[in-house]
Amino acid sequence: MNHVIWTMLMGLTLVLTLAAFRLYWTIIRKGPTSQRQRSSEEKCHLAVFLGSGGHTSEALMLLSALDFRRYTPRTYIVSEGDFLSTEKAMTLESLKAAESLPSDIRREGNDYRILVIPRARRVHQSLFTTPYTSLRCLLMCVYHVTISPVTTSTPSFSPFSDVLILNGPGTCFVLCLAICLNRFLGLSSPKMIYVESFARVKSLSLSGKLLRPLVDRFIVQWPQLESKGEYRGWLV
Amino acid sequence: MRVFVTVGSTKFDSLVQAVLSPEVIGSLRNKQYTELVIQCGNSESGSETNIQAGTETRFTTDGVNIVLWRFKPSLNDEFTTADLIISHAGSGTILDVLRTGKPLIVVPNPTLLDNHQEELASVLYGQGYLQYSTATNLAQTITAFDGRKLTKFPPFDGAAFRAVVDQEMGFS
Repeated sequence: MNHVIWTMLMGLTLVLTLAAFRLYWTIIRKGPTSQRQRSSEEKCHLAVFLGSGGHTSEALMLLSALDFRRYTPRTYIVSEGDFLSTEKAMTLESLKAAESLPSDIRREGNDYRILVIPRARRVHQSLFTTPYTSLRCLLMCVYHVTISPVTTSTPSFSPFSDVLILNGPGTCFVLCLAICLNRFLGLSSPKMIYVESFARVKSLSLSGKLLRPLVDRFIVQWPQLESKGEYRGWLV
Repeated sequence: MRVFVTVGSTKFDSLVQAVLSPEVIGSLRNKQYTELVIQCGNSESGSETNIQAGTETRFTTDGVNIVLWRFKPSLNDEFTTADLIISHAGSGTILDVLRTGKPLIVVPNPTLLDNHQEELASVLYGQGYLQYSTATNLAQTITAFDGRKLTKFPPFDGAAFRAVVDQEMGFS
């Protein structure tokens, strides 16, 4: 009997140690980095989280800088009930569509999709119910990031995306955790680029502090924060 | 000439009160501003702000025509038709107004708990892009303010972010 417990303990220790190594290697070290070169004609599936209000405005302004013929298809992730962000995303899409040459053959409706996820925590929500809503949000993110790409019938949205743009607030941390789960499991996962808000001059936001060790690129917009992340001038 | 005042998505009673005070209205009229449009959000500042959502209140004080309403889906038309904008310190509003090239006076909301907003307003004030004021000093600020002395705000340039994403994804 003692022998069985001893073996089980040894096994458990081994599994936990391996998991810890895997966690460290895939999430923190982000190795081995697959810096693969792409040819200029290649397409890249882009996803962006629209965190409502100023977050959405900044994220869409960042996106407007990109070549939508290269970054296609696009996935917009919005929080439940945030109709304004959905509307703004669709406005950007139609603006970009009008910009592209008339000779471009566009497949209307196939170029982008909008995913709705529950909020991790609503403004003024009680702290007691936050674990429940956050878990619900995480499960939905895992569904979209981990499960749906495997089971989906539309090949253009599988895998989840090649790159994910994040700029806060809290719910985007939960989305980032779902991506980390994919990395831990060895499934395909997008590159994560976090851009701290233009409003953050001297200190990082809470989502910035949480995501900094997890993302592939962490960019700030003020030289006062250069010690915390990459500074390349104003991006918005 | 027209002034547009915006408090953003929440409430900012002290700014609305200050703007409707005889001192501020007097300073505006002295500067030839005869139209005052106020987006007051959820602010409550006495009888003037007894407005139903979706409606507006109009009245004239001291020769200044005043219009008050709570929200509109987009404020861009208001920014472009105004000659001066007085706003809360929200980064989105600051960015939108500065990009229209209109002179801006920012009044940070001292009742907001997480007041990092004030940081942005004060650093942009330090760089000469906008004027900075408190609600109590607003009349003096307007009297002393000369929008032509502000530094021109740079236009949006997407090249830096495009380079980051292209590089990260292995293009180039």
